[in-house]
Amino acid sequence: MGPAPKPPEALLRAIAQDLRPVRPSPQPIQLALRMVPLALLVSSLILLVIGPRQDSRILGPLLTWGASAAQFMFAIALVWIAAHESMPAAKLPRQIVYFAEVAASLMVVFVTLLTFTRSPANPTLPVPPWINATLRVSPWIAGLVCGVGSTIAGGILVLFFSWVFRNSLATRPAVAGALYGAGAGLAINAGWRIACPFSAPGHALGAHGAAIVATVILGALIGRFLGRRKLYIGGRSS
Amino acid sequence: MIRYQGGSLDAFQEIYAQLAPGVRRYLSHLLGGSEIADDLLQETFLQMHRSRAAYNPIYAVRPWVFGLARNVFLMNRRAARRWATVHESREELPEAPVLPEADRLGSQDEIRRSIAYLAPDQAEALLLHHEWGFSFEEIAGMLGISAAAARARASRGMADLRMALNSLQRARA
Repeated sequence: MGPAPKPPEALLRAIAQDLRPVRPSPQPIQLALRMVPLALLVSSLILLVIGPRQDSRILGPLLTWGASAAQFMFAIALVWIAAHESMPAAKLPRQIVYFAEVAASLMVVFVTLLTFTRSPANPTLPVPPWINATLRVSPWIAGLVCGVGSTIAGGILVLFFSWVFRNSLATRPAVAGALYGAGAGLAINAGWRIACPFSAPGHALGAHGAAIVATVILGALIGRFLGRRKLYIGGRSS
Repeated sequence: MIRYQGGSLDAFQEIYAQLAPGVRRYLSHLLGGSEIADDLLQETFLQMHRSRAAYNPIYAVRPWVFGLARNVFLMNRRAARRWATVHESREELPEAPVLPEADRLGSQDEIRRSIAYLAPDQAEALLLHHEWGFSFEEIAGMLGISAAAARARASRGMADLRMALNSLQRARA
């Protein structure tokens, strides 16, 4: 056996220039659980502002709160998968990643259809009558409000998740970003669906679903951008 | 690695001494014997340094660094769009991979040549397990596949390698 290889001088100099102690990264489950408080806060803001939907008695606690709790836990699971995707030695099989993405989509569709089946009536909101009249004539306005509102809320979460994932070493950073983007979108939808009084699938999937898609795309774009900066040869890192 | 995360240069040198030869051979295999393996080796350790905060001590260091080397290789491939040229021209064969299990089946040159023509995913799993001693669970974590898939790839790779070497021997006879 020859002598142990030594790092080249240039590499050693570069390392020696920055040897400040660093804290080890948390485990994927710890990373995912760290997201819970802020995700819970941002997703429930809408409930604090306008309160739960009027038909929550018709829907029952299981379909109102239970379905949202399940969606929220699914959102955290997606962030956990994203955390695994971001570690070079801890990647999960691709099938799990794709299955989780498909299952999340199906879950949103299933809960939407179940909610509509239980409570299909068009709601009358506790607002001046002319607003109700306007919404009846132009339902897209409610869609726009919900779509833009939940996209902004989801965007805030995606930005926070991106900051937590700034040390990500994902081979497919866009996939990791899409996963935590989907987690953000699902968490926000979990709160908004309890507050939003409209059950129609056109509204729930068109407006709220579009917001989830928007956060997935935003997460993928940010993940890709950060990944390129981090691992591009000669690139810099935080 | 924990000492290194605490700021020890000696710990970095120890990690380099232990892992650099294996990582270099792995990169050389991924690159199909390209000369930039040394550059990517340095880049891997530079990335390891920049990303040392992203390491969690519950994971073994070796698969983490090999996984990082794979990331560096893939990013380099994307950046330079070298994939086609690297894998179309297998004139220069990877210097390292000669599996102990296959040693009796042919000369080193024959084994290298046969491995170079295996499907890339099979060759990678085969070498990670037989050449560098990773468990199938570790390979699964590095490649983003299940442990069963890692085992199947390595097994298919070994079967194809045997077949190729047997054909060579028959041709020689």
